[in-house]
Amino acid sequence: MTRQDIEKEVRKIFLKEFEVENPELDVNLREAYGFDSIDAIELLLEIEKFLGSELTQDEKKLAMDIRTMNQILDYIEMLASRRAAATEK
Amino acid sequence: MISFLIRYARHTASFCITVILWAYFMFGYLVLLPVIFLPFYLWEKNAPAVFQRLNHLHLRCFFGLGRVLIPKTRYRIAPGVRALRSSIIVCNHISYLDPILLVSLFARQTTIVKSTFFRVPVFGWFLKKAGYIPSSPAEMFGSAMLGNLEDIKAHLAAGGNLFVFPEGTRSRDGRLSPFNKGVFSIARYCNTGLKLVWIRNTDKLFRPGTFVFNAFEKNTIELELIASLNAEDPIHRLPVGAVADQARKIFAEKLASAIEGGDVRENHRIKKNINSE
Repeated sequence: MTRQDIEKEVRKIFLKEFEVENPELDVNLREAYGFDSIDAIELLLEIEKFLGSELTQDEKKLAMDIRTMNQILDYIEMLASRRAAATEK
Repeated sequence: MISFLIRYARHTASFCITVILWAYFMFGYLVLLPVIFLPFYLWEKNAPAVFQRLNHLHLRCFFGLGRVLIPKTRYRIAPGVRALRSSIIVCNHISYLDPILLVSLFARQTTIVKSTFFRVPVFGWFLKKAGYIPSSPAEMFGSAMLGNLEDIKAHLAAGGNLFVFPEGTRSRDGRLSPFNKGVFSIARYCNTGLKLVWIRNTDKLFRPGTFVFNAFEKNTIELELIASLNAEDPIHRLPVGAVADQARKIFAEKLASAIEGGDVRENHRIKKNINSE
């Protein structure tokens, strides 16, 4: 899964769930689009669906500090690589 | 002259009934509950559950006393509402009596409470100990919010109910306000369906903006289960905002049918407000 694939999926989620079209990569989502912590929870559930596995509490906590699209992409990349590493083992 | 005297006597009696009821209410929180709750607080691991039960009993007594002192107000609670367990209950909000009526119905219950109430001495402490959830952004952000969500999940799994008023505040004019989508996200996080409960006529007993109970008008307070949106229903695959819109639509339809079939006074009041929009 490339970063472009992840970005495409996240943009789809933003459009469908939060009615935000093409959010900019480095703007603060809270300030620019009113993205709040309830939205963050919703995003986590969508990320779980996307990855096909549940997130641990620690992983969820990490997501609570996310402010920008780029940070979301970094976060999903990190989760995907963790899962890939776990599968390889 | 006679009608003036009758009005005066009724107003005085209503005032006295109000004082008795609120005095009992406050006595419960300031004296009864602390005395009974303290040992549980010190030695019981699951103090919130104990407090919820005590609070439930206290408010059952409050409404029991209310039934005795205000016999003209009757209560019609649908069996389907009384039987709710492990549910997220979504209600319209028309009076300050709504949350305490719901607490009086369910032994295990929690809700999202305006954060200002948590700053009220004694009462705020009880709210915290009872496991109620503050609505302030500071408490609903970051890991605090995740903790709250996990607590709600455990509470539902233990048979408790979460009741929420998605309008955020009570309606002062009978109209339905826009719904906050928070509770719908919580339902999705907890993988729990939603029970939509329609509350009617609590605002006739305790009108917004007044202090005195309306003790001498015939009234029936009703709670009705108007819809269940189960977690496995196709609607839950829609975005949360769409689920919130669907739930609001169901309440709006109920309000419209209440206007058509309800009592004349309510019809005029709500119709007047809707027409003035």
